[in-house]
Amino acid sequence: MQFINTIRQYGIFLAFLIICGFLSYASSQFLTISNWTIIITQVSINALLAFGVTFVIITGGIDLSVGSIVAVAGVVAALLASQPDLPLIVPILGGLLAGLAFGLLNGFIVTKSKIAPFIVTLGIMTIGRGLALILSKGRPISNLSDAFNFIGGGDVFGIPFPIIVLFIVFIISYLLLKNTVFGRYVYAIGGNEQAAWASGINVNKIKMAVYALCGTLAGLAGILLTSRITTGQPNAGAGFELDAIAAAIIGGTSTSGGTGTIAGTLIGALLIGVINNGLDLLNVSSYYQQVIMGAIIIGAVLLDSWNQKKMAS
Amino acid sequence: MLSMQNEFIVNIADEMQKKADELGAELIIVDAERSPLKQIEQVESFIAQKVDVIIMNPIEFEASSPAVTKALAAKIPIINVNSATSATPTAFVGSNDVESARIAMKYIAEKLGGKGNMVMIHGLMGQAAQLQREEGAKEVLKQFPDIKLLAQQTGEWDRAKSMDLMQNWIQSYGDKINAVFAHNDEMGLGAVKALQAVGLKDKVLVISVDAIKDALASVQKGELNATVFQNANQQGAGAIETAVKIAKKQPFEKEVLIPFELVTRENVGKYLK
Repeated sequence: MQFINTIRQYGIFLAFLIICGFLSYASSQFLTISNWTIIITQVSINALLAFGVTFVIITGGIDLSVGSIVAVAGVVAALLASQPDLPLIVPILGGLLAGLAFGLLNGFIVTKSKIAPFIVTLGIMTIGRGLALILSKGRPISNLSDAFNFIGGGDVFGIPFPIIVLFIVFIISYLLLKNTVFGRYVYAIGGNEQAAWASGINVNKIKMAVYALCGTLAGLAGILLTSRITTGQPNAGAGFELDAIAAAIIGGTSTSGGTGTIAGTLIGALLIGVINNGLDLLNVSSYYQQVIMGAIIIGAVLLDSWNQKKMAS
Repeated sequence: MLSMQNEFIVNIADEMQKKADELGAELIIVDAERSPLKQIEQVESFIAQKVDVIIMNPIEFEASSPAVTKALAAKIPIINVNSATSATPTAFVGSNDVESARIAMKYIAEKLGGKGNMVMIHGLMGQAAQLQREEGAKEVLKQFPDIKLLAQQTGEWDRAKSMDLMQNWIQSYGDKINAVFAHNDEMGLGAVKALQAVGLKDKVLVISVDAIKDALASVQKGELNATVFQNANQQGAGAIETAVKIAKKQPFEKEVLIPFELVTRENVGKYLK
């Protein structure tokens, strides 16, 4: 299992290196520290969402609501951060709790009803968007405190703060999935839910936790986004769920559940970020960018599956 | 309405409601959520309800057109507010988007002394506002051959996306960029953020369109150099006034054009309420 996972990552890592190689050949600005600082900052929000989604997909579920949770958590955080007398921890907790609440709601409905996660999270996605609009009265919320704006815009020793957040969350998610009992249960449920249940795993509890984790990470992403653009936008995050799912799948997470890694997802998210950045550097027209992006996503996954077949034979 | 998730459109709707209350007209507002199909269905249901006048804020130039044709076929007058359709409605109240880009670009040309490098951040490709603002910008660029358009790309009307885009451009062009024209304020503010982060804002002009609240505050602080004011209040009020005139069978103007206004640090006070 461990070996196969390594090979899966290797395939996508190869695709990633090839694309980076091409871009550094095509644009002299691509392989610079300042450009990579930008790429990783831009990728951080999608990567946070993709980590959460990876956990969910490994259990055999899906979460379409993360984009809307980004908006709700962002609006909640912005509402609190625009009150000058509240300490910084209040908007941060507010955003995280909003994310957690939505995650728990997803998990609750998924485990208590027999409705497919696709439908449940689709419904929550719509509810979340509506709530974000209700809370913000349909308008962006600005005049956030400077301390709050530091989260997405500040840096520590020259390293942008979102990169530090990304690094910490990456380490925690990586260890959580790879080195804990919880992580093993997550794989077990995705591999064979009946067998996992029969062997005494509390399937519903683990699933609840996975959706709650995904929601909380979406809340964190919402805080980062809001702070980065210094406004709470009710229509922020639309379509983010698809980028997050794409990053997880490019990174080798199987949509049928049971397989996937956090490191692979990080490479998937970086690949999307690198392509976006590279096509802007090369000044490729907006129309072509979308076509190229889609083709590269399919190409990367093809290369990955080709690699696996070769290894298997 | 096109979408009640858009601040500018919400402003138009608010103003319509205010004017309707003032004139004692009953107004039903529905949100088409950016779906032309939904918009046509909503107009159909208004036709079924036999309302006196329909005011539509079209989503798309071609796709929303059948709604106009259907209303007219049912002999119910229909007014387009803010943007146009290919079918001619009973009346149109709004502004000409080509003009907004002309105003913004002329300001850039004037500030650069007719010479320099610029980039353009487009709205969502293929939407009427994006197409018309591009048309206006290109028109002015033709008059100033020494202003070079280094790069152009879509920011999808979104602040975060445009901030990313601007960061990428700063990587490839560095301090060669003298001015940025963004098709709306959200995107202009995104570009401002990216430039501020690397300390280049003082050297680069940023101009955008719409004059939303955040943009006005930014102009006042001297960050965003200028925005172009599209008068949502006059558009909303104008649409209701025209509708009431039509309903009362009074004479009305078939085309009410609300002019755009350039907002800079000098006159921003007038727009900040």
